[in-house]
Amino acid sequence: MKAAQTPHKKEVPCVFGRPPQLPITKIIRLSAALLARHRRCSTPTAALSLPPRVCSLRPESLSCRLSTIYSWHFTGKTKLCSVDAAMATTKPRLSSFSRNLSAVSSSQTPGVKCGPNGTMFVSSGIADLDKILGGGFPLGSLVMVMEDAEAPHHMLLLRNFMSQGLVHGQPLLYASPSKDPRGFLGTLPSPASLKHDKSRDRESEQEKGLRIAWQYKKYMGENQPNFDSHRDNKQDYCNEFDLRKPLERHYFTRQRVNCVGIQDSKNLAALQEHCASFLAQHQRNDGSCALAGRIAIQSLCAPQCEHSNMDWEMLSFIKSLKGMVRSSNAVVVITFPPSLLSLSSTKRWQHMADTLLSVAAIPDEDKELAKLLSGYQDMVGLLNVHKVARLNTQVPFILEATTFSIKLQKRRFLVLECLNQAPVDGSSGSSYGTSGSCSGSSKAGTLDF
Amino acid sequence: MADTICRTLRDGGLEGEHAPALTIKDSKASPFGFDVFNYVLTQLSNYILAGKSQSRGLVVVAYSRSPSFYVDLLKRRGIDIASSHDWIHILDCYTDPLGWKNWLIDKDISQEASSLSSFCQDVRNLDKLYSLIIEQGKGLIGQGKDRFSIAIDSVSEMVRHASISSVAGILSNLRSHDQVSSIFWLLHSDLHEIKFTSVLEYLSSMVASVEPFNQAAFGQRVDLENLSMLEQNFRKGKFHVRFKRRNGRVRVMCEEILVELAGIKFTPVLSEDEIINQRLLPKVSIIVLS
Repeated sequence: MKAAQTPHKKEVPCVFGRPPQLPITKIIRLSAALLARHRRCSTPTAALSLPPRVCSLRPESLSCRLSTIYSWHFTGKTKLCSVDAAMATTKPRLSSFSRNLSAVSSSQTPGVKCGPNGTMFVSSGIADLDKILGGGFPLGSLVMVMEDAEAPHHMLLLRNFMSQGLVHGQPLLYASPSKDPRGFLGTLPSPASLKHDKSRDRESEQEKGLRIAWQYKKYMGENQPNFDSHRDNKQDYCNEFDLRKPLERHYFTRQRVNCVGIQDSKNLAALQEHCASFLAQHQRNDGSCALAGRIAIQSLCAPQCEHSNMDWEMLSFIKSLKGMVRSSNAVVVITFPPSLLSLSSTKRWQHMADTLLSVAAIPDEDKELAKLLSGYQDMVGLLNVHKVARLNTQVPFILEATTFSIKLQKRRFLVLECLNQAPVDGSSGSSYGTSGSCSGSSKAGTLDF
Repeated sequence: MADTICRTLRDGGLEGEHAPALTIKDSKASPFGFDVFNYVLTQLSNYILAGKSQSRGLVVVAYSRSPSFYVDLLKRRGIDIASSHDWIHILDCYTDPLGWKNWLIDKDISQEASSLSSFCQDVRNLDKLYSLIIEQGKGLIGQGKDRFSIAIDSVSEMVRHASISSVAGILSNLRSHDQVSSIFWLLHSDLHEIKFTSVLEYLSSMVASVEPFNQAAFGQRVDLENLSMLEQNFRKGKFHVRFKRRNGRVRVMCEEILVELAGIKFTPVLSEDEIINQRLLPKVSIIVLS
């Protein structure tokens, strides 16, 4: 049997054998040994190449057993393909219809990164959210966040978004229904002073064996290799914010920060005028991006605002804003409580969004939920991704997961994680009905030949 | 659990934080909201008198009961009325809310109540009402950094004379005022559209709902089979509370209430109730490896 030891750091380790001489169990054991050496595979997909004769023999059973080993490298499916096809699949693929992603150059403008299809991204201020959305918020897009009336998690998203813009020196327009919108700037978080060591990455490297195969996604590498290829750029692009440390005042006294109150206005005309003049300063010229701008509108349909019962006026405002931002180098983030709108209005607002997120509260001291989800004790809420902006393309962005838990690491740093089901019991491999061990059982398997 | 609510109102809000706000809502099926309101009012008054609360005074905005009622209520609960003018003030929006009876003012309320109350004769102007509340509250606590609490009975009456946005505006402004320690109000939910109830729940940090003890018996014809169940609904009810905690989680609790002549009693639920937070459970997608 010939096995590819380490063909290339970024290539998938492939195993291909000659079935008449090699039993399947030995192939499985060899695969496990190889992958133990190449545990941190940088590509999300792996192809196990086997000659057709092997594939024809109970592929379901074989793939079940192999997927147990390959689980932290697979996207959920085991591909049984020919050797030639396996050697050809060396490049990461986002979806069946994705184009070949060539390496892209980072933009010269600080805080802005180039993305596919001629789009440019700004960071949301939350590194995990940037990864989930494929790089961040595209310039020229409208992001809407549906609030939960029982939890203030939309404020966390808004704070990080605003802080990231101020740290990069990007002009900011903030609108709020509160009496003193400028007072909100004092609650913005500051970038962490020390390099925050992501302990969850360290934990993922610990040897756990097959017991944590169900959490394989924690060990998967980047699905978007281009955006994280340069670590320095990533650190500049998205900072890690300490929610307990307020942003230094020089960030929002020196920069152009405009705060607008919307509670006392009779309608949205004044806010529309503010937005129009702000976006006019960030008109997009061909290919260039001098400086990106950010607009943050908190609780647009808050009940204390007089325009809160003017459904069509609010919709018209959003439509107008979307049209203006599309031709500008800016991003607009609007939060709103859907529970205060009619169902038809909510649907219309959701339809207007390029990127649609929602936050939700979780019950406190819920034993049932603690049994169902792992890491429940650290969760403060949930984030759902309903829609991801795709500008200049018809290719949809397929998310691997749509619901994420919002956690505060050390009560300071906001992280998003996929939901993972807590183990039902402590044993492993029992779900397949047979032992999942590949340690060389003397018992001859039914697949041996 | 009702004591938990009272303790939360007693402790007030942190510096720079909005004051905790409680919505007590009931309906025709279980009309015990006012009893709960009186219970919370009495408890908070005891805390203020004992000096255990963050607030040093209480402003009662009386829409549905006269000031005399509250004076009698406090007397029945054994609270000293003689010194009440130091810590409680009643804003009378009940006697003459629209300013129609200027010549009958002196005859309507007792002397005792009149010393503790002042009139609001235009409840349609909520900006003026806001100023009156703040003025009365500051009058109780002086010029220092002390705070006061506010009790509104009821917002259902308030919204009869003003728009939803203006009611939401005054409640929001009161919550965000630096010298307001806590605020609570009563709502009869079946008098309003769902939107208004949703607005108040949005503005609150605690929502307490009074529901029928036997939900199935409500609305049915009276016969021998469900008579006992209906009779239970006349005196008993269920008390559900949703706390919005500072960490972003929601704590849900339930108790049973029993209304007697002496007042209302809260008893913990002995058996496991139905799952009342099912709608908060996330839909977990379990990825099965093929």
